[in-house]
Amino acid sequence: MSLTYTIRYHSKNHYENPAKGASWQFLIIPEDNRSQQLIDWNVVNSLATASNVSINGLGFKTIRIQANQTFTDLEIEATFIVQKEELNPFDFIPNTDPSLDYALIKTLDFRADHETELRKTRFTTLPAQHRAIFSFDRKKNVFENLRMLNTWVYHHLFFKVGVTDVNTPLEEIIMKRHGVCQDFTHLFLAISRQNNLPARYVSGYLHQGNGYFGDSQMHAWVEAFVPNGGWIGFDPTNNILAAQNHIKVCHGIDYHDCAPIKGVVYADGRNTTAHIVEVIASQQ
Amino acid sequence: MSDHNQNALFSSYNRKPNLFDEVFDDNGTVKAIYEKLITLFGQHALDDYVHLNNKAKASFFNQGITFQVYGDKTAQEKIFPFDLFPRIIDTADWEKIESGVIQRNRALNLFLWDIYHEKKIIKDQIVPLSLLSSSVNYLHQMHEVDPPGGIYNHISGTDIIKHSDGKYYVLEDNIRCPSGVSYVVCNRTALKRALFGVFNHYEAHAVTNYAENLLQILESVKPHGVDNPNCVVITPGMYNSAYYEHSYLAKAMGVELVEGRDLFVENDFVYMKTIKGPERVDVIYRRVDDLFMDPLEFKPDSSLGVPGLFAAYRKGNVCLANAPGTGAADDKAIYTYVPDIIKYYLGEEPILNNVKTYRCDRPDDLKYVLENVDKLVVKPVDEAGGYGISIGNRLTKEEIKAVQNQVKESPRKYVAQPILSLSVHPTYIDENQSFEPRHIDLRTFTLLGKDTEFVLKGGLTRVALKAGNLIVNSSQGGGSKDTWVVKKDS
Repeated sequence: MSLTYTIRYHSKNHYENPAKGASWQFLIIPEDNRSQQLIDWNVVNSLATASNVSINGLGFKTIRIQANQTFTDLEIEATFIVQKEELNPFDFIPNTDPSLDYALIKTLDFRADHETELRKTRFTTLPAQHRAIFSFDRKKNVFENLRMLNTWVYHHLFFKVGVTDVNTPLEEIIMKRHGVCQDFTHLFLAISRQNNLPARYVSGYLHQGNGYFGDSQMHAWVEAFVPNGGWIGFDPTNNILAAQNHIKVCHGIDYHDCAPIKGVVYADGRNTTAHIVEVIASQQ
Repeated sequence: MSDHNQNALFSSYNRKPNLFDEVFDDNGTVKAIYEKLITLFGQHALDDYVHLNNKAKASFFNQGITFQVYGDKTAQEKIFPFDLFPRIIDTADWEKIESGVIQRNRALNLFLWDIYHEKKIIKDQIVPLSLLSSSVNYLHQMHEVDPPGGIYNHISGTDIIKHSDGKYYVLEDNIRCPSGVSYVVCNRTALKRALFGVFNHYEAHAVTNYAENLLQILESVKPHGVDNPNCVVITPGMYNSAYYEHSYLAKAMGVELVEGRDLFVENDFVYMKTIKGPERVDVIYRRVDDLFMDPLEFKPDSSLGVPGLFAAYRKGNVCLANAPGTGAADDKAIYTYVPDIIKYYLGEEPILNNVKTYRCDRPDDLKYVLENVDKLVVKPVDEAGGYGISIGNRLTKEEIKAVQNQVKESPRKYVAQPILSLSVHPTYIDENQSFEPRHIDLRTFTLLGKDTEFVLKGGLTRVALKAGNLIVNSSQGGGSKDTWVVKKDS
C-alpha cells in the first residue's frame, strides 16, 4: 500500500552582525525514484526573495536563495508531499554461491564504474589501526555481510546528540563510540569501501512514527551495492534496511556532498543554524 | 681558432663541451641559423649591448610587468629578468614541436572525455584505476558532463626541453591555468624596441596573434543557441602572481576582466554586473582553480568564486575554459602514461619524447628511487611552479635522507626522473658582464577549440640565470628570452 507523506522542513539561521548579501543552497527536495514521487511542494523564506530550483553537481534538485539586502536572519519553510510505495529490500535473488559476488566486485570494470563509491575520503577512510575492525565473511554473500555490518555499526556506536559535528574525524568516532546518523553512516561507508564494496551516503527524511533515531532532523543512511540487487539502503543508526519510512533526497560520496544547507554569506562574526523536520504519513 | 672568438661580444664565451649549446656546435662554430645574428651583434661593443639590455629591462618596469613569489614574505613585485639575446628555432624543429604538442593535447583531451564517461582506457588496462581514485583533481561532479564542443583543455602550456642528445623532451603538460604568454608578447615588444635593426634581418613569426586566436577558441565553444557569445576573463584578483597576464589577455581580446564578485548566477545563467545592469556571460576564461570557482559546489570558504557557477556550467548555459576537472590529466603520475595515451586514442607514435619517469607508487620504481636519490630529480606529483623539487646531485647527505623519508611516507605523491641536461644558450650575465652558457627550456602555448587548434609560433624561453641551475621557473629565479620561430631557415 502506498503512503502519502507530508514533510515540513523549517530552517532558522541567525547572523550576529548584519550581512550584506548571501547565496544559499538547500539540498532538501525529495528525489523522484522508483519507490517515491514528489507530488507537490512549496517553499517560503523570510526575506521574501525568489527561491530558484537548480540541479547541483551530482544531479540533485536544490533550492537557491539569493539575498541582496541587509539582514540578520533567514528562515525558510518548505513543505513536500511525497507518495511512497511499499518497498521490499529483500525482493531480489541473491547469488547462492557467495564467491560469485566477490568475483564480480573484483573485476576491473566493476571497480572502474564504481570508482566514486569506492573512494576513500577524509570521512570514509578507516584509520590504519582500525583497518580490520570489521571484515567480510567470504563464506557469506555480500548482502548478508552488509546486514551484519549494519547491525555491527548499530551496536558499536551509541546514538548521542551534540558530541560530534560534521567535521569530527572517523578516528574519534570509532574511539569514543558515539555520534549521530552521519557518524553511523560514515563508519558504515568506510568499512564497506575498505572491503571493496561500493557504498554511498544518503541524505533524506525518516518517517518518525515508529520511534526511530533520526526523527525531527534530516536523516542519513547508506546505499550499498548488492550484486543482483543493485543499490539497497541500510540504516545503521536504527539497525534496519531502508524501506517505506525512508524518503530519499540525494546521495553522495560523504556528508559534504549532501549537506542540506550550504551558503556564502557576506558578513563577519558568528552565525547559528538550526533546522527541524516533521514527517506525517497518511494512507491512500 | 673558433669563429666566436673573433667576435668581441662572445670572445670570452666559455662553451661547456658536455652540454648541448643552441648557438655553437661542438667545434665552437656558430650554427647556420644564428650566423646572421652573431654577425649583427658582433658589430656592437659590449657596452652598447649592456646599455640596450638595461633599456629593455626598464621597459618592463614601465609597463608594470611584474610577478610575485609565493612564500617569500619580504619581496613584493619583481620584474621577470629579460635577456636581449634571443633564441631562434628553425623550421624543422618547430614543425616537430608544433605537431608534437597538438598531438599530445588532442590525446589528453580524449583521455579527459573518457575518464569522465566510460573509462575505457582504465578498463583496457592502459592506465591504472588507482591513478584516478587517488587524484584530488579528478572531480566526480564532472561525470557524464559533456563540455561544449567536447573540449576540456582549451588552453595548455606544454613545457619542452632539448637534452644533450639534441632531442626534444616534454617535461610537463600544464593544462590547469598555464601562465606566461603575456611575457612572450612583452619580450617581443622589448626586443623590437631595442634591436629592431637586428630583428628585421630575420623573418620570425609574430606572437601578437595569440589573443585573437584565444578569443576565437573561446567563441568556438559557446553554449548552444548563443550567436554572439560574451566572453570574460575571471581572475582571483590583483594579488595573484599572474594578475598582469590576466589583465593583458582581457585587454588584448577586448573583453572584460572580472573577479568572482562581479558575476552572479540567476536561474542557472551567469551575469556580469555592469553600470547598465546585468549582462549575460557565455564563455569564461577562468584563471581561478577548480576548487575555488564555486563555493556552493566545491570549497565552501572560497571568496574567489561565483556561487552557482558550476550548476550553470553543468546545464550548458556557460562554458568554462579550461573545463573543471581538467587537472586530472595534468599530474606528474599521469604524465608518465602520456605516450600510451597517445597510442591508445590516436593510434600514433608520440612525436615528442617523454622523460623516463619512475613512479614511486610502483614497488620496483620506489626501490630504485630510494637507492638513487642523488642521481634523480624527485618531484611532488601535484605542485606547480618548481616548488618541492629536489635535484639529487645538489643534496647533502642529510637532505638525501629527508627526501627518502618523504618519499617513503607517501609514495603516490612523488615521481622521479633522471637529471636531464637541458640545452644551454648564451645569456648575458650582469654580475660578470659577459655572455655565459645558461640552461633553457621552452613553454609552448596550444589552444584547442571546437574543430580548431592553434599553437603560438614562438613561446617562452625560460633561462636559469644562476650558473649550472636547472630550474627555470620565474618563481625560482629564472629569466626569459624572446623566442623566434623563423619562417624560413637562412
